[in-house]
Amino acid sequence: MTARRIFAIARKEIVDSARDRRTLLVALLTAVAAGPIFLILIFNLIARQADSARELKLPAIGLSNAPALEAFLVRNQVTLSEAPADYEAKIRAGEINVVLVVDADFAKDVAEGRQGRVRLVSDRSRDRAQPSIRQAESLLRAYNRLWGGQRLLLRGISPAVGDPLAIEDFDLATPQQSGAIVLFLVAFYALLGSVMGGMAVSLDTTAGERERQSLEPLLMTPARPIELAVGKWIAVSVFNLLVVSVMLCGFYLTLAYAPLPAVGIPFLFSEREVGRFLTVLLPVALMIPAILLYVGTRARTYKEAQANVSVLMFVVSLAPVVQLFLQQREPPWLVLVPVSGQYTLLRQALRGEAIGVVQLGLSYVVPAVLIVLALGGVARLLSRESILSGK
Amino acid sequence: MIRVEGLTKAFGKKREVNAVSDVSFIAPDGEITGLLGPNGAGKTTLLRMLSTLVTPDSGTAKIGNLDILRDRFAVREHIGVLSDARGLYLRLTARENIRYYGALHGLSGAALDARVDALIETLGLTPLANRRTQGFSQGERMKVAIARALVHDPSTIMLDEPTNGLDIMSVRALRDQLRALRSAGRCLLFSSHVMQEVAALCDRIVILSAGKVIAHGTAQELLSWSGGATLEDAFVTLLGSGEGLAA
Repeated sequence: MTARRIFAIARKEIVDSARDRRTLLVALLTAVAAGPIFLILIFNLIARQADSARELKLPAIGLSNAPALEAFLVRNQVTLSEAPADYEAKIRAGEINVVLVVDADFAKDVAEGRQGRVRLVSDRSRDRAQPSIRQAESLLRAYNRLWGGQRLLLRGISPAVGDPLAIEDFDLATPQQSGAIVLFLVAFYALLGSVMGGMAVSLDTTAGERERQSLEPLLMTPARPIELAVGKWIAVSVFNLLVVSVMLCGFYLTLAYAPLPAVGIPFLFSEREVGRFLTVLLPVALMIPAILLYVGTRARTYKEAQANVSVLMFVVSLAPVVQLFLQQREPPWLVLVPVSGQYTLLRQALRGEAIGVVQLGLSYVVPAVLIVLALGGVARLLSRESILSGK
Repeated sequence: MIRVEGLTKAFGKKREVNAVSDVSFIAPDGEITGLLGPNGAGKTTLLRMLSTLVTPDSGTAKIGNLDILRDRFAVREHIGVLSDARGLYLRLTARENIRYYGALHGLSGAALDARVDALIETLGLTPLANRRTQGFSQGERMKVAIARALVHDPSTIMLDEPTNGLDIMSVRALRDQLRALRSAGRCLLFSSHVMQEVAALCDRIVILSAGKVIAHGTAQELLSWSGGATLEDAFVTLLGSGEGLAA
C-alpha cells in the first residue's frame, strides 16, 4: 500500500466528481438551504403560538348572561367578540381556535344556587389551537377559584379549606433546554447532511465506474484493491465533510444574522457549538462513505446501488425520530451506537452541555471498526472475478 | 514474451461452460501474435487470465519471467492491456485520463509529463489532449484508451479487438503504431474475430475455437497445413466453417 498511489486515486476521484457540477450543486444547495429555511419556519411557528397564547381572542355567545365573568376576562386582557352563528364549522375549518358559550339559564341557575354552565368549544386535534384552548381553560378555572373563594370568605371560611393543594410551577429547564423541536431539527439535519453529502459521489465512483466500463482497465493496473478502496473513501469523505461544514455554516449564519423572531429561546449555536458539532459528526461523516462505497461496489448496477442506499438512508434517518418519540432517558451505552450516539451528543451540545472526552471517544469506536470492515470488504469485492461479470 | 501453458477456465455453477480449455502457445518479443477466433471462442477470457484478473482453473502462463499466478501485481506492471471494457472518465480530459494511469503505475513528475506528451503526440491526440473525453468519437476514445494502456511503456501489450468500431483511417493509423511497437521489440498479442485484420498485421496466428487452440503458426505455415490457396480458405478449412469470421 503506497501513500502516493492512494493520493493519486483520491485526487482523481475528487477532480472527477467536482466536475459533476449538477450533482455537487444540488448537494451543496440542499445543505445551505436546509438551515435557514427550517430555522425560520420553526421560529415563526413558535413565535405565532406564543402570540396567540398571549393575546387570547375569545368569541363568545351569551356573555351578557354572566357580566361578572365578562368583566373578569376583560381584566385579563382577553379580546372578546360575538361568535358567529356558524362557529362550529369555523372551528373545524381552523378559522377560530376556541369559542365560549354561556348557558342561557346561567344567571337563573346561579341565583337559585345551582352551578352555572359554560361550554368551551374547540377542536383539540389542531396543534395551533392548543395554546388558546389551554389559556381559555386556565382562565375559566381561575375565575371559578376566585368566585368560590369569595363565597367561602363570606361564610367566614378560609379559601384554603376548599383549595388544600398549592401547586407551584417550578420549571428546571434552562432557557436552552426548551424548544425541543428546534433541537431535534438542527441535530437531525446535521446528521442527515453527514449522510447525504457523499451519496452521489460514492455511487458514481463504484457502481458508476462499473457501469461505465472503466473498472476492468483500472483493475489491470498495479493499484492494489485496498489502495483503490482507501483512495475512493478519502475522496468521498472530503465531499461529505464539505457538505456537513456548509450545512453547519448555514445554521450558524442564520442564527447569528437572520431576522428571527424573538421567541425566548436563547438558542446556543456559536462557534463553540459549530466546533462541537464537527467533532461529534466526524466519525459518522467518515463512516457513511465507507459503507456507501461497500454498498455501491456490491451492486451490479447504479440503479441497484441506489435502491440499497435508500434503505440505508431510511435506517439512519429513523434512529433520531425513534429517539424523539420514545422520550426516554437515553441509556449510557447508546453513545456507542453510530447515528443514535451522535444524535444524543449533538443534542447535548445544543443544550450547552460540555461533551466528555470519554463519551466522545466511545462514540468513535464503532464507526472506526465499521470503516475498517467496509473498506476491507470493498477491497475483497474488487479482487473477486465476479466483479467483472454481471454488467 | 508470453508463454501460455495449458490454461483452462470454466464458468457456471457446475463449471459446465468451458470458456478456455488447455490453451498453450508462445508469443515472442518483437512480433505481433494474432489471436483469431469467432465470437465466444474464449479470446476475452484468455486475455483476462493473462492480465491476472481471472484466475485459471489449471495451467499457467508467464509474462517474461513472471508467473501470472504467483506474481500477479508484478505482471501488471509489465503489461499494457486494451481490454474488452475500455471506458474512459468522461469528465476528465484526454491528458488527465492518461496521466491517471501513469500515476497508478507509479510514474510522477517530469517523467510522467514527458511520457504523456510523447504518447499524445504519437497517437495524434494533440488537438484533443485538453478536452474532456465526453464529446469524443469512438476512434478518439480508442486512442485515449490505447495511450492509457501504454503510458508505463510496457514490454508486453495485449489488445482485445482494438479495431472494433474504428473507421479505415483509424485502423491504418493503429496498425502503423502497433508495427512501430513491434520494431521497438515489444511483445504484442492482438485478438480479433476479423480475419483480414489478423492477416494484415500479425506475424503469428493462434486460431481459437470453442476455447481450444486449433492451429498455431505463421501465416505461411497455416497455408501449407490447410492446403488452401488463400488465408481465408485456410481459416475455413481449419475451423470447419467460415462462420463468425466475416468482418
